[in-house]
Amino acid sequence: MIKNYIKIAWRNLKRNKAYAFISVAGLALGITCGILIFTLITYHLSFDNFHKNSDRVYRLYTEWHDDGIGRSHGVPQPLGKTFRNDFTLAEKTARVISFHDNLITITQGNQVKKFKEDNGVAFTEPEYFDILNFPLLKGDKKTVLVKPGEAIVTEKIARKYFGDDNPIGKVIRVDNKVNFTVTGVLKDLPANTDRKQQVYVSYGNMDEYTGSKKREDNWGGVFSGSEVFTLLKPSTTMESANSAMALIVKKHYTGRDLQVWKFKLQPLSDIHFNSDLDGYADKKYLWALFFIGLFLIITACVNFVNLATAQALNRAKEIGVRKVLGSLPHQLFWQFIAETALITFVAVILAIGLSFIALPAINNLFESQMTFKLFQLSVFIMLISVLVVFLSGSYPGLVLARFQPILALKSKLSQKHVGGFSLRRILVVTQFSISQVLIIGAIIIVSQLHYSQTTDLGFNKDAVVLLPIPQQDKAKLSTLRNRINEVQGVEKSSYCYKAPAAQSNNSTDVNFNHRGEDEHWGINTKQGDENFLSTFGMKLVAGRNFFPADTTHEFLVNETFVKKLNLKPQDVIGKMLAIDGKTIKAPIVGVVKDFYNYSFHTEISAICIMPDYRSYSTLAVKINMRNAKTSLAAFEKIWNETFPEELYSYQFLDDSVGKFYEMDNIQLKLVEAFAGIAILIGCLGLYGLVSFMAVRKTKEIGVRKVLGADTMHILWLFGKEFTYLLLIAFVVAAPLAWWAMHNYLQDFKYRITIGPGIFLTSILSTFIIASITVGYRSVMAATANPVKSLRSE
Amino acid sequence: MLSLQHISKYYQVSGLKNFVLNDLSLEIDQGEFVSIMGPSGSGKSSLLNIIGMLDEPSEGYHYFAGHAVHQLKEKQRSALYKQYIGFVFQAYHLIDELTVYENIETPLIYQDFKGAERKAMVADILDRFNIVGKKDLFPAQLSGGQQQLVGIARALIAKPKLLLADEPTGNLNSKQGEEIMELFRKLNKEDGVTIIQVTHSEKNAEYGSRIINLLDGKIESSKQL
Ligand SMILES: Nc1ncnc2c1ncn2[C@@H]1O[C@H](COP(=O)(O)OP(=O)(O)O)[C@@H](O)[C@H]1O
Ligand SMILES: [Mg+2]
Repeated sequence: MIKNYIKIAWRNLKRNKAYAFISVAGLALGITCGILIFTLITYHLSFDNFHKNSDRVYRLYTEWHDDGIGRSHGVPQPLGKTFRNDFTLAEKTARVISFHDNLITITQGNQVKKFKEDNGVAFTEPEYFDILNFPLLKGDKKTVLVKPGEAIVTEKIARKYFGDDNPIGKVIRVDNKVNFTVTGVLKDLPANTDRKQQVYVSYGNMDEYTGSKKREDNWGGVFSGSEVFTLLKPSTTMESANSAMALIVKKHYTGRDLQVWKFKLQPLSDIHFNSDLDGYADKKYLWALFFIGLFLIITACVNFVNLATAQALNRAKEIGVRKVLGSLPHQLFWQFIAETALITFVAVILAIGLSFIALPAINNLFESQMTFKLFQLSVFIMLISVLVVFLSGSYPGLVLARFQPILALKSKLSQKHVGGFSLRRILVVTQFSISQVLIIGAIIIVSQLHYSQTTDLGFNKDAVVLLPIPQQDKAKLSTLRNRINEVQGVEKSSYCYKAPAAQSNNSTDVNFNHRGEDEHWGINTKQGDENFLSTFGMKLVAGRNFFPADTTHEFLVNETFVKKLNLKPQDVIGKMLAIDGKTIKAPIVGVVKDFYNYSFHTEISAICIMPDYRSYSTLAVKINMRNAKTSLAAFEKIWNETFPEELYSYQFLDDSVGKFYEMDNIQLKLVEAFAGIAILIGCLGLYGLVSFMAVRKTKEIGVRKVLGADTMHILWLFGKEFTYLLLIAFVVAAPLAWWAMHNYLQDFKYRITIGPGIFLTSILSTFIIASITVGYRSVMAATANPVKSLRSE
Repeated sequence: MLSLQHISKYYQVSGLKNFVLNDLSLEIDQGEFVSIMGPSGSGKSSLLNIIGMLDEPSEGYHYFAGHAVHQLKEKQRSALYKQYIGFVFQAYHLIDELTVYENIETPLIYQDFKGAERKAMVADILDRFNIVGKKDLFPAQLSGGQQQLVGIARALIAKPKLLLADEPTGNLNSKQGEEIMELFRKLNKEDGVTIIQVTHSEKNAEYGSRIINLLDGKIESSKQL
């Protein structure tokens, strides 16, 4: 029986090639998206799930409760030690302090190799490798990193540094400061971990590396790279550990700090998703993806139902004959399911092929290393196939099975019997609502990104080259600047910690005008020399720039600072400002116009700008872009002569500002792709519907033409219908899209408003696309020779 | 009124020309009532369609009311057609989704008559055909004879000079057929409408003033009554 069903199904598909093609193409697209989204979601859910006892592993983090709540995944350096020594709640606790973009130097004989490690170097206590499951391939787990001066690296790094040589016993030098001997090799890190460091060195060398002992006992500051991981005892609850934290605060803080500082535990499984800390994949977006995937599959099924029921009418005669020959309704039902299954099968095969082609592109987009997990994926595909077959096959199947044979035989069946035209209308409206939501989403993300990229940032980001400064040697700094300024095409240059907008921001406490109490908010410190304002094109609203100096004798502040004090810009000029626990004190001499000191996702901070050569890590050079090539070459030469033992690199400021929106750009690309696919599937469905309409209306069109209707009149028959459907779809989609995108925009502190233009663009573009789809088929119908359609039946 | 000269119509079937009309010439004057007869497949409908400009001949010259139809553009032909010709079919070809009233009104819409004018014209013809009571019914609710009556009313609504009818009584019983023929005669005599009808019935053919017999796409005989 089944064989018979499949055989008939196959012949039917061969006979209706266009129908088969549209159905298969739509389903294949939908299922491809399903597979990719499934892979993406399971990939993110699998992050750091391979550690033993991972339900007992936590990371400590910091919260500040002042004017609002601030959070950092970093903690004061002594916290981990205190938690380990003063309490018995944990089996193991490890501190790990990681830095980024470190320079690794390897000297072999007289050959020197330099590497820049983006993911950096981590000063790590040995317990780290008892808590997290990163196995050693070489070296003794009991002794590695216990003594100072040791390093362990991953296989990949070992191969990069030493080729096929045995890495054990080799020496690596970090940032030209500290030497480490490699004593162990780690198995390469899996793709699904947020612990990205590939070079681990003994914690004991921290003081030597930073050049001071201050950090080890400093409870007052937090470096975001300073993390603590702990494996709690099975009997310890998160609550008891959190109350231990409260005791630590009581012991080590005084005064207002007692209320401000809090330490808490974050479960390992939360790290990847918690965007309040350093989580990468907000669960909100994973859910959004899940729903988009679901919608796309539904759209494809809708398409299928649509086409299949339209098709059913053409098969009325076959069904009638079968019934007269004694076929039972359920047999017809199963016959139809078999047909659907066949189409779905072909679509799934295609979808698997498409997914394999698309995965590298997606990995590229996310800079991820996702792979297909064969078992998981096959279960998913099985489930989705069954779902699709029944979702899309059962309705047409039921319709066909219910046909009355006599009517069917006389070709007297009409719309009523195949679920009517209105069902198909509802389905098309559903499809177009989905694509409109996605189109509106895409337009809004594009507009927001455009806004971020074109709005006046309060500083000039064009034609500014950022050169790194690895050593703060006064003599070297001044020769370097003099030589750079002589290069042709250089307009201005400024030493600074970072550009006005940067991913690294330092925040510290504020005391204004000798007030008794510090302010309840922090201030963002930006070190820069007297050319900082002119190089970045920033404007003063009151006072003057500070005089040239190497250390802080005068301050500039921004408008937000003044506003937070509820004062006018003139009022703060000449007043004393004390920061960093009052270690730095100087008068304010000027107020600069507000500028965006980070992305549009975050609010403009209160900021002070002051010279301090020890903090300069960047030389910003404003150049004339016409000579860019020769200027850049000259910079490289001069820089390499100044810092022969370092590795040269440079960045344009607008590129580094663009990086703030990396995630937004990824989201945009995804939404664009999905909107495109949704529209494509929708158009396939629309095309099917129009074909159906055209067939059904052949006679009517013929008659109307004989009565004198011209092509435009006939086209309007179709146009009226679809204008109407699109408008309904828009009415459904607009509020939904508004709601979703309103929530999306909440993540931006500075954002566009959702105006009518956006909705207008969306409906217009959908309309144009739909007209093209509908147009071709309706023109065909409208220009058909009426004589043919009216030949007596 | 119209003149066909050396008209041929053929379909290309696997490279071979399959002649439906073969070098056919025909003149029809204003006020004539012509009946075309012939066996099934002899080309009657094809001839009628060409006369009615629904279809184009493969070869030959076609003049209508002083215009060389074979030289006209689609648009001009359409205008000529709208002005002069009404069509009646064997299968009525009413639009199922429209009421009797709307069916009859449709040609007027396409000829850009104003609303009030349309109303008056439709009311007038409903009256003349005695189907006022049926104006809100749908075609499926009418008998065959009534449907054909609506079809004729629709063909006549814009006051055509030439009425083309392809087996108008083919689906009707003989009594209904006779009524339609009486109606045609009256239209021809009193209103001066030129009529060309295709029919299989000798009796109906004799309502006309001329009978043309077709065979294999050629005029076999032509008889003035
Ligand atoms: N589109 C077409 N393609 C091929 N042959 C056609 C086509 N239309 C009509 N014919 C053929 O033309 C011939 C004449 O048809 P028709 O004019 O309808 O005959 P009648 O009305 O006299 O019965 C028939 O043999 C028919 O098969
Ligand atoms: Mg015929």
